[in-house]
Amino acid sequence: MAPAAPQAFRPRPAVAAGAFDTRNRLHKEKTLPTLPDTKQKGLVFNIQKYSVHDGPGIRTIIFLKGCSLRCDWCSNPESQALHRQLAYNPQKCLGVDACKRCLDVCPHKAISVGEDRKVVVDFTRCDNCLQCAEACPADALNVYGYEVSVEQALARVEEDDIFYSRSGGGLTLSGGEPLYQSEFALALLREARKRRINTCIETCGNVPWEVLKEAGRYLDSVFYDVKSADSARHARVTGTGNERILENLRKLREAYPGLAITVRTPVIPGVNDDEASIGAIADFVCTLPGATYELLAYHRMGTPKYGYIGRTYPLEGVGNLPEGRIEELRAVAKARAECCQAAN
Amino acid sequence: MSCCLSPQEQMLQNQIEGRENKHRSEAGHVRAFKILDRVQTLTPKVDVERGKYFTESMRQTEGQALVLRWAKAMKNVAEKISVYIDDDQLLVGRAGSQGRYGILYPELDGDFLDLAIQELDKREVSPFVIDPSDAKVIMEEIAPYWKGKTFHEDLAVALPEDTLKLTYYPDNVLLSRFIVNETASFRSSLQWVLDFEKVLKRGFKGLKEEAQEKLAALDPYSPVGNCEKRPFLEAVVTVCDAVTIWANRHAALAAEMAAKETDPVRKQELARIAETCAWVPENPARNFYEAMQSQWFVQMFSRIEQKTGTIISNGRMDQYMYPFYKADIEAGVLTEDEAIELFECMWVGMAQFIDLYISPTGGAFNEGYAHWEAVTVGGQTRDGRDATNDLTYLLLRSKREFPLHYPDLAARIHARAPKRYLWEVAETIKEGSGFPKLINDEEIIPLHLSKGATFEEINDYAVSGCAEIRMPNRDTYTSCCAYINYAAALEMALYNGRMLKYGDELIGLETGDPMKFTDWEQFWNAYLAQQLNFIKHAFIQQHNIIRLRAEHFAMPMGSAMHDLCMKNCVDIHTPQIEGGINLGYFECIGYGTVIDSLAAIKKLVFEEKKVGMGELIEALRTNFEGKEDLRALLRNSPCYGNNDSYPDTIAHAIDKASLEFTKKYSQELGVHLDLRYVPFTSHVPFGRVVSATPNGRLAWTALSDGSSASHGADINGPTAILLSNYASKNYDYRERAARLLNVKFTPHCVEGDEGTAKLVSFIKTWCDLKLWHIQFNIINKETLLAAQREPDKYRNLIVRIAGYSAYFCDLSKDLQDDLIARTGHDTM
Ligand code: SF4
Ligand code: SF4
Repeated sequence: MAPAAPQAFRPRPAVAAGAFDTRNRLHKEKTLPTLPDTKQKGLVFNIQKYSVHDGPGIRTIIFLKGCSLRCDWCSNPESQALHRQLAYNPQKCLGVDACKRCLDVCPHKAISVGEDRKVVVDFTRCDNCLQCAEACPADALNVYGYEVSVEQALARVEEDDIFYSRSGGGLTLSGGEPLYQSEFALALLREARKRRINTCIETCGNVPWEVLKEAGRYLDSVFYDVKSADSARHARVTGTGNERILENLRKLREAYPGLAITVRTPVIPGVNDDEASIGAIADFVCTLPGATYELLAYHRMGTPKYGYIGRTYPLEGVGNLPEGRIEELRAVAKARAECCQAAN
Repeated sequence: MSCCLSPQEQMLQNQIEGRENKHRSEAGHVRAFKILDRVQTLTPKVDVERGKYFTESMRQTEGQALVLRWAKAMKNVAEKISVYIDDDQLLVGRAGSQGRYGILYPELDGDFLDLAIQELDKREVSPFVIDPSDAKVIMEEIAPYWKGKTFHEDLAVALPEDTLKLTYYPDNVLLSRFIVNETASFRSSLQWVLDFEKVLKRGFKGLKEEAQEKLAALDPYSPVGNCEKRPFLEAVVTVCDAVTIWANRHAALAAEMAAKETDPVRKQELARIAETCAWVPENPARNFYEAMQSQWFVQMFSRIEQKTGTIISNGRMDQYMYPFYKADIEAGVLTEDEAIELFECMWVGMAQFIDLYISPTGGAFNEGYAHWEAVTVGGQTRDGRDATNDLTYLLLRSKREFPLHYPDLAARIHARAPKRYLWEVAETIKEGSGFPKLINDEEIIPLHLSKGATFEEINDYAVSGCAEIRMPNRDTYTSCCAYINYAAALEMALYNGRMLKYGDELIGLETGDPMKFTDWEQFWNAYLAQQLNFIKHAFIQQHNIIRLRAEHFAMPMGSAMHDLCMKNCVDIHTPQIEGGINLGYFECIGYGTVIDSLAAIKKLVFEEKKVGMGELIEALRTNFEGKEDLRALLRNSPCYGNNDSYPDTIAHAIDKASLEFTKKYSQELGVHLDLRYVPFTSHVPFGRVVSATPNGRLAWTALSDGSSASHGADINGPTAILLSNYASKNYDYRERAARLLNVKFTPHCVEGDEGTAKLVSFIKTWCDLKLWHIQFNIINKETLLAAQREPDKYRNLIVRIAGYSAYFCDLSKDLQDDLIARTGHDTM
């Protein structure tokens, strides 16, 4: 792990709602001449094939950079910043006795030699010029984020077309918050729909309603995260209140009665792993006709990536949920759903 | 390869996975578990009786027609070999002593026997024990007779010098060089399937009568009739008698044991065994039990008769057993559990026979007591309808509930395979440690139509051996051909016809000093020249092998069961049989290794010029010592198995060049000698002679396996593996044969009904892509632990968690442990 370098990126209070960069103007504003959909470009950090837990069938996920929330437990911290950024995985470094290719290229002397003879990156000095990543033979220094056009991204997605037709799968946009790069995301979805690719999105819902509304026109299914029904608590752990999120969800349900909506809650110890929290969200879900609700157990698999980008994990030291807890909470959610069905 | 786990390894794994006791005490399984417990931990023993009595008879028949000599030898064995009835068993008939055992085929590789006796029990993998008194029999009664007479010796003498040095060490032909490796001297022919149905329906009595009628009808004046047909037909009569004698000896023993037995239940079982063995396989089977016993006698006697390339496969058991099963079920004389019990009696019987390879090369090809007695289920009927029936499902159930590595279960898949079938196949894969392997009708059927089969014949194909198929009455015995080390061809392109392992000796072609090459084309042409040179010598080997095989082997029982042999009155080893199709193949070993190496050279040396040729060769010579950075760079260049057109185009070209060659020259040999990618475990010994390669592979380590990607190089998930395989195939050639494809899944990917549904759609897509074979490895805890220890080999393990992206090997130890603990139960 990189030593405790001062953090290059301070998460909170970071992003004011709607603080978009220029590429994220709404499509309909048309203040700039709009490119054809296929030529729109965006910043992506991974395109993952054979995804089986993110929508129906066998799918390809495009992970987009950028997010307007800063959840403490985020398992894709590399998604948050909307720019290409350096990542360093010391496990892969060959050590300076075998290789020092990066030391020679860094213009800012941000790379030095650690006690274990592997390199250490000082992220406070690094300006993301990425020359070292270009030089590293071992992928120890790497880049999170690359630019692709809609055309290029969908070409990758369509490579697995034959798998979608057998499984009912397709494209899932994830992130970050995939709608954060709204023009690009909408162009992707529009074009995907045109090509008859099944579409799904994993959203936190914290985006302008117009964006979500436009997206809904091209979507077959949605996974919609609701982290807490309590706005103050929501703000404490994600940096933002939940009003717009809940409001958007309600509107989405109304606007697209046929859209498959799955509300998801990542169950985080100490945040929402109590019956009251889950019950409150479940009650809210009950007000959305046809929506299903699922709980995802907290996991720490994202922690190494914090180290790679010179950050420390906000939930360091938080362990997994106790054995059986997630099942208990699922039972709570299920009971609520049944009781509200009976009431309706 | 998962099909190479030994029974103990498998059982151990099952124990680790907590599966061991699940079905132990259930009706239908108790008996088989009991027998298995008794035998599974024993080290296999060499039994000399087959070799002894075979040799004894062959000594006395010199000068006669080979097929007749063989039949007489079989009769001698049948009369004298010890017969056994194992405790608890319902099916009887062994080719050797109780416990796990292997038998000898001195006619094949007897010149290795002296060496083998000293070394077999010391082998690190697949050891055997030999009793000192048996060793004496080998040294005094068996080995001396075969000196100078074995197939292997004749072949070594027949090979031209240039071919020989690619095959064996010129000064010691007992040792293979693993470059253009002949495989004909450790098996008499390629894998084979018998038409078991014929015996079940007509009995050996029927076959014998047919031969007698033909004998009576022979033209008494015809020289061919007198010199060729007559001895063949007499051999058929003799061998039919031999099998019958052998069965009757079991009947007598069972009756004797029944008389002494005090346990009334066992007494009755023994009485039934006696009654059954007195009737089959001489006569047609009258019920399911008789059909099973008859099949088992034929199966075991075929192993006594000859060592084929991997033992005789079991054919479409769910088809030819079905009429007997159905009739008994309908008559109320058989239950499902009783049928399962009989099948499992057969599986534990199989597990005791170990295919013994005397030569070190044969051993290296088949590590871990490999076995391919394929039992085929599913597929289509002769008229092209779906063929699944109740027995299909029963056989799948047995594989789920009795998780033994025997039999090697193969499921045929076609476009109209019913949903239930695909579902149960997928469920069985999840439970049964990767079994069944799948074979694709949509590739096999059109391909074999173009090779000359009729619809009827090919619709009825059976899986045979590792990944091959047979039409038991249409194709004929085919000589084993070369396994070609494509990675050695690459090495020779780098070192101008030489290999580091073999020093300065010029073994291949001098294709020039690569340091002087100025563009990629030159390097590619040098490689291609080496590759074609290897194939050329493989075909020269083959020309000799085809001729010699018929002089050394005959197979009267196998021939009696083949329509074309009976029609033409010729032994199945005859090089060309009228009306037959000869389906042979040669093997590409190290496909992924070569593709990735060539891609790295093309990209880094010639296109991007990031690495100099001199620098590369220097690093390879020193096995990357002090050049870890270069090695890392090479390893991170584009690799086959990722649906990346850069390496896949090279893959396609390598495949095509091989197909072109065989298209042109296999006709001269009179056989189909097609291109196959199925290594058994030979990619390991082949790797042992190849120094470091430009894909970053270290010297002497394993090559890539079959048509799979190099270890850990396929980092884009399973869909990309299939698509790369598809992209690298030349669908415009009919000269292609099997491609072995192993795909790993984490249990989480296939968890629950949703996981099964996704596995089913994955299988359907594989079928759409017309890939030949696929076998799944459902990764268990053990594998994840191995990935922790050897991250290099498991770079491709993606952790599949909703909305999250990463590779297993990128996680810290602590997180990996976390994931391992979750494997198999939690939804993440
Ligand atoms: S990305 Fe940062 S560490 Fe790398 S060379 Fe540029 S400034 Fe230096
Ligand atoms: S270039 Fe990469 S492998 Fe080499 S020292 Fe730097 S980080 Fe390590």
